[in-house]
Amino acid sequence: MLSTIAMILSAIVGLSLIYLLIRTIQGHPVERRIVFVYIGLAVVLPLLMNKTLPLPVTKDVRKLYDRLEQLQPGSKVLCAFDYDPPSAPELQPMAVAFLKYAFKKDFKIIIMGLWPQGPQQAQQAIEEAMLDPIIAGKNLVQGEDWVNLGFQSGNEFVIQSMGTEFKRMFPKDNRRIPYEDIPLLQNVVNFSNVDFVMNFSAGKPGTYEWVQFGVDRFGFELGAGNTAVQAPMMYPYLRAGQLKGLLGGMIGAAEFEKVLNEKGKASTFLLAQTFAHATVIIFIIIGNLAFFASRKKKTAGAR
Amino acid sequence: MEMISIWIAAILTLGIFSFLYKDNPLYKACEALFVGVSAAYWAIVFYFDNIYKKFYEGAVTAEEPDYFLWIGAILGLLFLTRLVPKIGWVSRWPMALIVGATAGLWMVGYFVSNAMNQIGNTISNIIARDELTGAIAWGETFGTMVILVGVVSGLVYFFFSKEHKGVFGATAKVGTWFLMVTFGASFGYTVMSRMSLLIGRVDFLLGDWLGILR
Amino acid sequence: MRNSFEKTRASRALLLVFVCSLLLLIVSFSTSVSAQADNDSDTPADSILALAAPAPATDLKAFDTDNDHGHSITIEWTLSADDGAGANSVISYRIMKSESPDGPFDSVGLVPLGATSHVNSSAIDKNSEGYFSDNTDYYYRVEAMTTNAALFSSSEIVGPVQSSGQWFNAGLVPVLIAILIFTILTMIFVQLAKKGMDLYVRPLAGIEAVDEAIGRATEMGRPILYVLGLGSAADIATIASFTILGRVAKKVAEYQTELNVPCYDPIVMAVAQEVVKSAFIDAGRPEAYKDDIVHFITNSQFAYVGAVNGIIMRDLPATNVYMGKFFAESLILAETGAAAGSIQIAGTDEIPQIPFFFVACDYTLIGEELFAASAYLGREPELLGSLKAQDYAKAVLLASAIIGILLINIFPDFGETFKSWFEVID
Repeated sequence: MLSTIAMILSAIVGLSLIYLLIRTIQGHPVERRIVFVYIGLAVVLPLLMNKTLPLPVTKDVRKLYDRLEQLQPGSKVLCAFDYDPPSAPELQPMAVAFLKYAFKKDFKIIIMGLWPQGPQQAQQAIEEAMLDPIIAGKNLVQGEDWVNLGFQSGNEFVIQSMGTEFKRMFPKDNRRIPYEDIPLLQNVVNFSNVDFVMNFSAGKPGTYEWVQFGVDRFGFELGAGNTAVQAPMMYPYLRAGQLKGLLGGMIGAAEFEKVLNEKGKASTFLLAQTFAHATVIIFIIIGNLAFFASRKKKTAGAR
Repeated sequence: MEMISIWIAAILTLGIFSFLYKDNPLYKACEALFVGVSAAYWAIVFYFDNIYKKFYEGAVTAEEPDYFLWIGAILGLLFLTRLVPKIGWVSRWPMALIVGATAGLWMVGYFVSNAMNQIGNTISNIIARDELTGAIAWGETFGTMVILVGVVSGLVYFFFSKEHKGVFGATAKVGTWFLMVTFGASFGYTVMSRMSLLIGRVDFLLGDWLGILR
Repeated sequence: MRNSFEKTRASRALLLVFVCSLLLLIVSFSTSVSAQADNDSDTPADSILALAAPAPATDLKAFDTDNDHGHSITIEWTLSADDGAGANSVISYRIMKSESPDGPFDSVGLVPLGATSHVNSSAIDKNSEGYFSDNTDYYYRVEAMTTNAALFSSSEIVGPVQSSGQWFNAGLVPVLIAILIFTILTMIFVQLAKKGMDLYVRPLAGIEAVDEAIGRATEMGRPILYVLGLGSAADIATIASFTILGRVAKKVAEYQTELNVPCYDPIVMAVAQEVVKSAFIDAGRPEAYKDDIVHFITNSQFAYVGAVNGIIMRDLPATNVYMGKFFAESLILAETGAAAGSIQIAGTDEIPQIPFFFVACDYTLIGEELFAASAYLGREPELLGSLKAQDYAKAVLLASAIIGILLINIFPDFGETFKSWFEVID
């Protein structure tokens, strides 16, 4: 019911855009608040429709998946959560999908953060992943199947230092249990004892630092989930093989959910994202028309 | 309890959104609250993570104290000399250390990844050939050409010792075009990011708060 | 006359430095070899239980890891015949280590199929498990593992091998040379600038606009907002911004306009206060300086933006200057400023943010222009000299790229060698 109303409303909103276009050509510019209203509608209505879009999985996401598939059960994966709640809409779905997949594959997860709120985001993602019936059935134990080492200040210096020994940077986990008393970490000295590193990053410190101070110096394998703002800057590293795969923004998250076969938030957000982009493009056209119309008027006035 | 926090979050979200209409008392209240809470939050994070967890537990109560941390603590305290104008100049020492150490740590990395490796990557065969047939791969060849022209003209644009005139100016102009195309692509990605954030908030309002979704 | 004489002397000196460093480059690189094969792993083995032990890994080699602080041994081998081929039963390799060729051997690492090397590194802490000392004999063997834990086959044993540390990372010699050349260039140009040689810097539109914008603020009787961004005091962009802030503050003091500098980072705030204070003293108006011109807001990105937005909408500054490191807040700030009708001048080295400043500001300094601007404004010999040196370094890089491309297309072998000089592995 709600979804049908939303579809009808979307059609009306779409038609009204044509009206705006005509008004602009006639020389009546659109007020900024109207633009805000349209963007708002472009996000709200598709969410109400509750539909998913068919989505091809791009090479960069596929590469990450293929690499993860090669890891054996029991592989130790270090997950660096370098983001905070403001970037959660893009990165949290990736993290949840990743953790669900990792727990199902029986990977051992070591969580840490270079951002103070990162490990809290991780904790939330773990709680969400645990709701999955298959994972709940595994009765995973903190300290044996996963561990949260918490946050450490020092940005890139932390990575540098972890290269010799993790324990130096994380003497205790987030439950204040000493590093040496955690079963999962018994044979984990430094990067050479983990099989893969996954980084979820919203800025600095983040993937850039993990590549320059981690991969380039200690040679481990790194996969990354980035906000869309940051993703284009990471392509050179992807091409050079310093990154094993990249999830960029909400689209990247949705593709990852698809390839892992985990229906999550990102897939349901995709339609809203598409509508919002379409609206932006239409307003760019309207804006340019208004600009040229006003210029024409000015030159005509000057004559 | 969770209900209350969801209501607070929803009212604050709407309060911040109200700025889109115009500046108003509700926005001002939300803004003041946000600034105050975040300042206090960060003060606690800095205290707990740096002074307590890193320094106190690492250098004072640890079984094998890390005495290097005392050097950091003392340098940190030197910052406070700013409060006494007469010896305020001492606070420049720790500052010098931070600036110097960061510059040193990054210098090699920057030079390697941003200058040398980039040039190394640019040096490649202009005409790309298909590995199997040996025929010219036009797509890749075109790509290499574009990268080449982009690197050269971009570098010329950022040359500050010469005025942009004549051939030099024309090359710089091409560089500007390359920059604009890069900016456009980057703009698109960022719009995508911002929309995702908005979707996240709307999802919270419609789902967690109003319970319309799911 | 004297000036031109000095100029020729300078250019001769420069030429000499260039020739010397080029020779040095060629000599040092002719010996360096760099090639790293990409280990593309094949498809994973079937997950059914293996029935027979696989063929072992062969050609095992163990040696001290190059260019490190010691406590690390690299092990290399040739893939088992059953890895990705043959019976296709190998799923991983287990690296075993012992202090005696007769054992006992302990596992020190497990790598997936397709891998042909492993670095066995020790912990720093002597009490840690996994610690091993330099200059001690060790023996290694590699076991090809199958899905059935009992079915594996061992390679021959290699050893003894010892780890040792190196004082100097030979892999970074090209970088050292490049940095030396750059440092020498900088020193030469700084000396020239100190001697009063006129070093030309092309005018930058954004910077020319600053004075005009301050004048406008004075006429309108409205304040100037200066935002230093989210960078720390150690970021180059923030340091460049301090120089520009000094210039703006000096003009502001002269014109008696109001200035507002809200800060995100406490240390940046401390430096900015010093900068503004000395600018007011330079302008001869120390009494006009107040400590709250530069003030701290909060260390949280969006709370900071919210507060600055509030300042823009309420104080309606005539001019907003955004110089430094900016992230997601760039557009929010610049949009609000544009809506408030302020003249806006921005500059940052954060490439993803430049487009936003471009669309919402009147003038934007792109990337390095920000650093050039601080040199242009400051006219200090150190800044001007390093700017000039950077230009020459760019010229050298550009020339190298062009020479490299010509070489690789005409003399492929020599071209590849030339290219390898630039591909440094840290």
